[in-house]
Amino acid sequence: MKKVRVGSGSSGWPDFKDGALDVAQNGDIDYISFDHLAELTMAILQSQYAKDQMRGYIPEVIPLMRGLLPIWKEKDKHFKMCNNGGGANPPECANQVLKIAQELELGGFKIGVITGDTIPLSRVDELRKQGWKFKNADTGEEDIGTVRDRLLAAYAYTGADEIIEAYEQGADLVIGGRLSDNSLYCGNFMHPLGWKFSDEYWDRIGSAVCVGHLLECSSWSAGTCSNLWEEIDYPKGNPGFPIAEMDENGDCIISKTETSGGAIRVQTLKEHLVYEVHDPENYLMPDGICDLTQIKLEQVGKDAVKISRYGDKPRGKPRPENLKFCLAYNDGFIAEEITIVCGPKVFQQAEKAHEFVKRRLDYLGLKPREMLWSLIGWDSLCGPTVGSPPPDYDPPELGIRIAFKCDTEAEARACRTECGHLCWASLGVGAGFTQPPRIRPVFALWPTLIPREAVPLELEIKETK
Amino acid sequence: MAKKRIKLIDICYYRSGDKGDISNIGLMAKTEKAYEIIKREVTPERIKSHFKGWVKGDVIIYPMDNLQSLEIMLYKALGGGATKTLRIDQTGKAMGNALVKMEIEVDESDL
Repeated sequence: MKKVRVGSGSSGWPDFKDGALDVAQNGDIDYISFDHLAELTMAILQSQYAKDQMRGYIPEVIPLMRGLLPIWKEKDKHFKMCNNGGGANPPECANQVLKIAQELELGGFKIGVITGDTIPLSRVDELRKQGWKFKNADTGEEDIGTVRDRLLAAYAYTGADEIIEAYEQGADLVIGGRLSDNSLYCGNFMHPLGWKFSDEYWDRIGSAVCVGHLLECSSWSAGTCSNLWEEIDYPKGNPGFPIAEMDENGDCIISKTETSGGAIRVQTLKEHLVYEVHDPENYLMPDGICDLTQIKLEQVGKDAVKISRYGDKPRGKPRPENLKFCLAYNDGFIAEEITIVCGPKVFQQAEKAHEFVKRRLDYLGLKPREMLWSLIGWDSLCGPTVGSPPPDYDPPELGIRIAFKCDTEAEARACRTECGHLCWASLGVGAGFTQPPRIRPVFALWPTLIPREAVPLELEIKETK
Repeated sequence: MAKKRIKLIDICYYRSGDKGDISNIGLMAKTEKAYEIIKREVTPERIKSHFKGWVKGDVIIYPMDNLQSLEIMLYKALGGGATKTLRIDQTGKAMGNALVKMEIEVDESDL
């Protein structure tokens, strides 16, 4: 039976680089994919590109490729690679990788460069004129009009079509922009197994979407961030990244290299299958809709889990007509500060400081749009679910974190300095100061949909001499 | 029948994440019996009350029999969502930890 081995290479920016190198060196892979983008990253990269047309891609791609290309050469140029690290500037990212390939004398190294996922705001306006409203998928707000003047960037989450086409044209590496994390993997299953976007294949593409989800977060399926953390070990300090061996029926074994740490267990995969999927019967991705309630997991080896069909229903349904589309807009500034209270009576000191900060904001006439007061060591993560501290509970220290959101950077700075930083004045002796992080602009996201035909993508093949 | 108060963490694993202002919690039963318990006892009303004002929108629960898990979505639950929230846990990674502190009452024979 025909099978393909696809490795996970990266889950974001940054990730363990040695994970990808281990998969390439020891994983006997045919393909490897690298996701470098979080939801907000494209907005940051687009603003970098607007200032400097040599930037706007993920810089980590370059050292990663410097490590990988020698392995690729050593493996007789066998495996193919695919990433979305081009961000807002895939052509320049490709140029930089070509330089490395040239240095390594990799003649005929081909990169498929996919562009077109970034949508100019003028095009957004045209589509609105044609009646497309860009309804907010999270909040249900009907029209983008309320934030149009504050829009910064717009990008569509694109599918595997151009990745497959690039491989058809001989690409060894595909570099794209906002290629969906999941499609980076779907393309790597669909191309070698010959799966098409048609009725015969939706069940198998459903499986590819599921397995793509398991691979796209790298070590998160292989024991990191796990409920089993006490029993999972990293003897050499190198978490393993998952590798999927998919057969032509859409069944698959997930494993990892023996040279890496971590673990592949039913539980470590289950943790990821329930992670951020929302309606599990309709896990929507650009290449297909997976029904995750039709997936079966079985432990078949020490670090090997079989993925197959659980019920009688197909694992997949036809891909959605529209693509996910994200618009980023300006929404003020956030400033934060952490002060550490030294005991005794840490909660009483913190309470006094809270009152002091509220009075001082009034005294200075500062009106942050939002303010959050939280206690690190008590409620900063679980909020009101922790209730009040018991009267006899007095830990040796407690962190006070104060965060402000304001319309302008100047107001945010004033709140932080005058009220956040100076709150030490109301505490007892021995408070610890910290260096606050930079005041950050809020890039808010407006998630919506866009018709596929409104996102014409282009593929260019670049090659070393 | 003797009743016993337990916490969800006694019978479940968990992992949580986000999508905009929606918190998404996967609650994985450790045993088949535990799955029957959480399907019955973990309701949108109880979850919302447990979070005391941190969850401002609806709660939707999807059962996943194949994984003996519940996929739980909490709307308007992350203080505006990762990029807008003032919370230190911008992406709601600890919302699962917060949920599994929830207490439920079960028959001892169910455990």
